[in-house]
Amino acid sequence: MDELDKLKNHWQKSEVAFPKVSEKEIYGMLHKKSSSVVKWILILSIAEFAFWLVLSFFLKDNPNTKRIESFHMDYVTIPLSVISYGIIIYFFYNFYKNYKKITATDNVKNLMANILKTRKTVSNYIFVNIIYVIICSVVLFAMYFYNDEQLINAYHQSEAHGNVISFYIMYIIMAIVTIGILILAVWLFYKLVYGFLLKRLYRNYEELKKIDF
Amino acid sequence: MSSSIESSFVKQLQENQNLIHKICRLYTNNEDAHKDLFQEITIQLWKAFPQFRGEAKFTTWAYRVGLNTAITLFRKKKRTIDTIEFDNKIHRFNHEEYNYEEEEHIKLLYQAVQQLNDIDKALVFMYLEDKDYTEIAETLGISEVNARVKMNRIKSKLKKILNP
Repeated sequence: MDELDKLKNHWQKSEVAFPKVSEKEIYGMLHKKSSSVVKWILILSIAEFAFWLVLSFFLKDNPNTKRIESFHMDYVTIPLSVISYGIIIYFFYNFYKNYKKITATDNVKNLMANILKTRKTVSNYIFVNIIYVIICSVVLFAMYFYNDEQLINAYHQSEAHGNVISFYIMYIIMAIVTIGILILAVWLFYKLVYGFLLKRLYRNYEELKKIDF
Repeated sequence: MSSSIESSFVKQLQENQNLIHKICRLYTNNEDAHKDLFQEITIQLWKAFPQFRGEAKFTTWAYRVGLNTAITLFRKKKRTIDTIEFDNKIHRFNHEEYNYEEEEHIKLLYQAVQQLNDIDKALVFMYLEDKDYTEIAETLGISEVNARVKMNRIKSKLKKILNP
């Protein structure tokens, strides 16, 4: 008889001294709030969707936006807005579809795969948003470059002083730093929050995949 | 959900609560964590209860939800409570022939199982519950052959932990 069979013998034979939970206590538990990882993923994911949505509304009333409107480049700004709402609708639909598939009655591997898939939808959403922000920034910087009077004056001044190259360098550095800070903030958020939340899930999923490899 | 469904659920859960305690036993190492996991499994079972059609046995269905909660859904709270007292309480022998040496050996076996990872514990749990490999494989979502191979590896792993 191997070790595990000895344990099995004891497991089934012995009356383990577990505390007896009464019906009243169970009723109480039914109305307690769950603290499951899925609940946290849902809260964080909705917060992420809301963040980008609020950000886009906030930017609408921004003085900079008013200035961009004065450039009269609707043929650029309107398609960009349409794309941005398209991104939100597409990813939110996918997120909802995947979220609905998560059920505790599934087998362990499928449950983990569905949770990770739901999570992946949100990370893809963030990734696409970053790409979108980069494209928008490039377009914005170009729009400013060709339309903003202050900038055009500054350009002419630097041209007069023979500093055009340093003007370009300054402009590009500014763009890179702005985008860099944004990417760093998102990366940190992911490392901290999701690293903490999903570490165990990833580890267990990898372990399960190894068995069937 | 109506109160008759609620009372039917509570009754079935109360009758089969040892099953949940056993899962908590393997996945936690102190009394508070045991209670937390018990509560989370209860909540998850209740949430999934509308999907329970009565085609399977309540226990078979509860095994799956319970293990899923322990392995995937439950978020462990960080605690630093001594586990010895709890272990002694749980491991107590209640059957007639009391044997000190055997009890010590069983304690060591439980401690060895505690050192396994979450997936290995799930296999061990179902093995101890005398589940066949078809059910073990289905619950975990792996093939039956691989479930057998893995079980043999776990047995060797336990042997190594006990006889380093």
